[in-house]
This record gives sequence, C-alpha cells and structure tokens, in this order.
Amino acid sequence: MGALLMLLSAAQRPGPEPAVLQYPKNWPAPRYDFSRNPLTREGIELGRRLFYDPVLSRDSTLSCAGCHLSFTAFAHVDHALSHGIQDRIGTRNAPALANLAWAQAFMWDGAIQHLDFQALAPISSPTEMDHSIQKIVEKLNASPRYPALFEAAFGTRKATGERVLKAMAQFELTLISAGSKYDRMMAGTDTFSRQEQNGYAIFQKNCASCHAEPFFTNFSFEKNGLPLDTMLRDYGRMRITQNPADSLRFKVPTLRNIEFSYPYMHDGRFRKLRDVVNHYAQTTALDRPLELSANEKTDLVAFLLTLTDRAFLFNPDFSFPKE
Amino acid sequence: MKHLVLCLKYAGLILLCFPAESQNIISLNLGPFYKSEKIALGESLSTPDSLTLHQLRFYLGHFTFYQNNAAILEDKNYHLFDLEEASTLNLTFNLPQNATFDSLAFNLGVDSLTTASGAMGGDLDPTQGMFWTWQSGYINVKMEGFSKKCPARNGEFQFHLGGYLPPYAANQRVELKTGGNSENLLLTLDLAPFFEQVNWVDKHNVMSPGAEAVRLSGILAKSFAIHAQ
Repeated sequence: MGALLMLLSAAQRPGPEPAVLQYPKNWPAPRYDFSRNPLTREGIELGRRLFYDPVLSRDSTLSCAGCHLSFTAFAHVDHALSHGIQDRIGTRNAPALANLAWAQAFMWDGAIQHLDFQALAPISSPTEMDHSIQKIVEKLNASPRYPALFEAAFGTRKATGERVLKAMAQFELTLISAGSKYDRMMAGTDTFSRQEQNGYAIFQKNCASCHAEPFFTNFSFEKNGLPLDTMLRDYGRMRITQNPADSLRFKVPTLRNIEFSYPYMHDGRFRKLRDVVNHYAQTTALDRPLELSANEKTDLVAFLLTLTDRAFLFNPDFSFPKE
Repeated sequence: MKHLVLCLKYAGLILLCFPAESQNIISLNLGPFYKSEKIALGESLSTPDSLTLHQLRFYLGHFTFYQNNAAILEDKNYHLFDLEEASTLNLTFNLPQNATFDSLAFNLGVDSLTTASGAMGGDLDPTQGMFWTWQSGYINVKMEGFSKKCPARNGEFQFHLGGYLPPYAANQRVELKTGGNSENLLLTLDLAPFFEQVNWVDKHNVMSPGAEAVRLSGILAKSFAIHAQ
C-alpha cells in the first residue's frame, strides 16, 4: 500500500512548468508546432544555457552567442562574415534572430526547414563550431550539471540529440521582438514623427512587398540585385533547389532591430543602412530600383530605426544565464 | 489491502493463462545479398571488381501488412538497419489476433512529413549520424565501400542517398507479395542491380539530394524480395 501511495505521489509531482509564448493579438498563429515540443520554463532555461555554452564547439571556445549577441539583435556585430573556432572565417553574415516561431526556413538559402534542426548546421560546419551532435551529447551526459537540467526539462537525466535540439529551439522560440516604436504605433500607444511617418509611407510603397509587416519579411527567397562576390561565389537558394531560376536568391531577412544588426546583406558587404538604401536606388539589376531623393532616403532610414526594440535587446531573460 | 493483493494475483493469473491467444507476432529478418552471395562488411565479394562494403545503413519504416488489399496493421515507426549491428537486422510486428496477410509495404527512407516534423528520438535521433547538417533531411541510405571499378582514391565509393523535397524526394514505397501467411519472413535486398547501374565514371560519390540520389534509390526499392521461412 505504501508503494502504491508513493507511485501516486510521484504521478502528482509537478513536472516542468508550462510556458506560453506572448505575442501581439493581431499577429497570426505561430508556424512552429508546439504540440511536438511543448514550451516549459525548464526547457527554455536548458536551451538558454546550451545557447550560451561553448561546449557546443569542438574546442569548447565558442557558443551560439559568439555570433548571435543578444544586445546586437542576435547578429554578429561588426563582422561581415562570421568567424568560427580558431578564427576560421565563414562565407555568410550571421543573421539577426527574432520571431523564429513564425519562420518558414532557416539560413540565407533556406537549407534548414525546421527550427529544431537549425543548430545542427553551425555545430557541424568546419568554419563555425566544427563539432558533432554525437560528441556534444557525450559531453553533456558526462557533465556534472547538465543531467539535472535535462531531468528538470524532460523528466530524464539523459541527454539525446532530440532533447538538445528541442531545448535550444524552445529558447529560440521565446526570442520575440514586438516592442519597438513601430509596434507601439500600431497599438495606438505612440506616434511617429513627421519624418518617420513619411519614411513609413515610402517603406510601404517600395519595400513592404518583400519585407512584409509585421515580421518585416515575406519569408521568401528574392533577388536583391547584388552582384556575385567572385571570391565567395555564393549563389544562394540555387545550392539547395539546384534550379537555375533560384540563382542569387537569398532569404528576405527581417528588418526588426536593423539599427543593431549591421553589417548588412548575406555577406555583410554594407556597413551602413544608408549604403543598403543607396544600393536599391542605384542597382540596374532589378526591375524597379527605388527612386528616392536624398531627403526621402533619410526619412526611410528614420522609419527603419523605429523597428528597434530595446526591451528585446536588453531583455534579461535572453542574456547570458547567471548561475 | 487484502483485496488489492487478491486482485493483483488474479490479474496475473489471467495474463498467464492467455498469452498465446493475445499475440500474433511476425518476425522479419533482413539480409543483404549480391545475387545469391550473402554480404558481410569488409569481405570482398566474388565479383570481378572485388566489391566490398564497409558500411551499409538504411531506414525502413511505415510498415503496412495487407490481406486482400485491406490494411491489417500499420506501423508508422522507422527503423535504422545497420549491417554492423546484428540486433538491428530483426524486426517484430504484433498483428491483430488471428489476422493473416498476403502482402506488405514499407518505405525505404524517411517520408517528407516525418522529416518536416522536427527533431525525433530513437532511431531517428540526429546522433545516429543519418541526418544531414548542412541541409535538412535524413540520409535514407548510407552505403560505403570499395570497388576496382571506382576511379576515386583507393577505389572507395560513398553513396549517401536522401532528400525529401520535390522534385528530388528520394523516399520510396516498396510493396511486396508475401504469398501467404508466415510467422518468419526474410526480407532480402539484392545489391547487384544497384552496382551494375552505378555511374562509375563520375557518380561514385553521391552525398546530396538530387536526380542521381532519386535514380539510385529507385533501383534499391526494386531490389527487395520477401521470402516465407
């Protein structure tokens, strides 16, 4: 009878605490299927620790945060091409991270179709972490502190590839940026300056078909008129689809927190927002280059700065976990 | 308390009395061959090119057993067969009581819906080394070895067949007549057609989704046969 009571009490013991994603009411439902990976406070916390732990790299020197810094929009500030362990330089600019629960594909060429699997790419890339999920799981299972974290999150002390990836996805799913001046404006709790309002009108007319609100991306792969970098020879989406029509198509990045995610474009070739706007005004490779006066360009940039979300950038829940 | 113990005793007795009637277990063993020659890893076959396999791993899953074209058991799980691990070469299925079957079907490789559903555990855990990291998707078949015909370094070939997005989805459905009911089935895979149709000149290393991966997967799918034992 005592054993039965013990079983009952074990069944009633609280498991991980469910967590709910908070986002604006007028946003669509997330694309991520939470039924396969229910968010929990402990799962998110485990994912956060993994995100910030250099154990994920072969020589245990580099964490995800090495290239995705919270206070610079989870991008790699000042690095056109991100570097991995031992100063190895990659071929692309680390993208800003935000609102990943709505994303449809990951990486500049959409090579990864599901957030769970995204981390495998930088983990395995020789120019990034140069490691393997097998080795990472071994290291975590031998670690003095991770088994307890896995037990709290998944009810078992054993780390597996599935649990590592799901925990990291849980943390990444919480990276929601919806607190910019633009968002307050949409909610009716703030107002644009005349310059910002003018910039918003220019944006809606010229940019919003690809950088669609509220995520500031239509999640598709588009040609942006940039000439091929003859050293990198990166043809973007074509590498994945093997379809020549996809040559030089890259994923449309979000513009949220763009003030902090410089340098810009898939290879980081532009250091200033103004350079990006000038590219779209000058390119002859697109059907419809922007026709903007110098003042209009300034107004457009003023609007883009309203996408900065300081509550997101400095959210203590997103920063390095303290013991 | 006394009643509880009695109840448990009777429950146990009932279970002990009726084990055979409640089970209809089918055992399926997998054997790779080259024509009639059984394949063992690291051992040269008696082919002119001294074909030798160093690794053979592949996913089979979503087994469905049929009687008169009606499904009697559908098992959506995937299993990783690894010629190096004898324990992976046997599968059992618990069919409904008294059910019989005359054919079965299964997937060679992981279907696109499963692939697109996020991280999985067990045989589908990415730590199994059967998941591409640079581009989403399972490696459905990993076959590596040596052939004198292979112009690569040391005559070594690598076929990592996979891809789940159209037009290069490599997953194949295989349907086989079992010719009646049997508790023990031997599923053979004859690799002769595959190696006879390999393009040794420039397609002896296939490690990404594409037309060649689909073509070679199609050849493998036609090379399975089932035998009642």
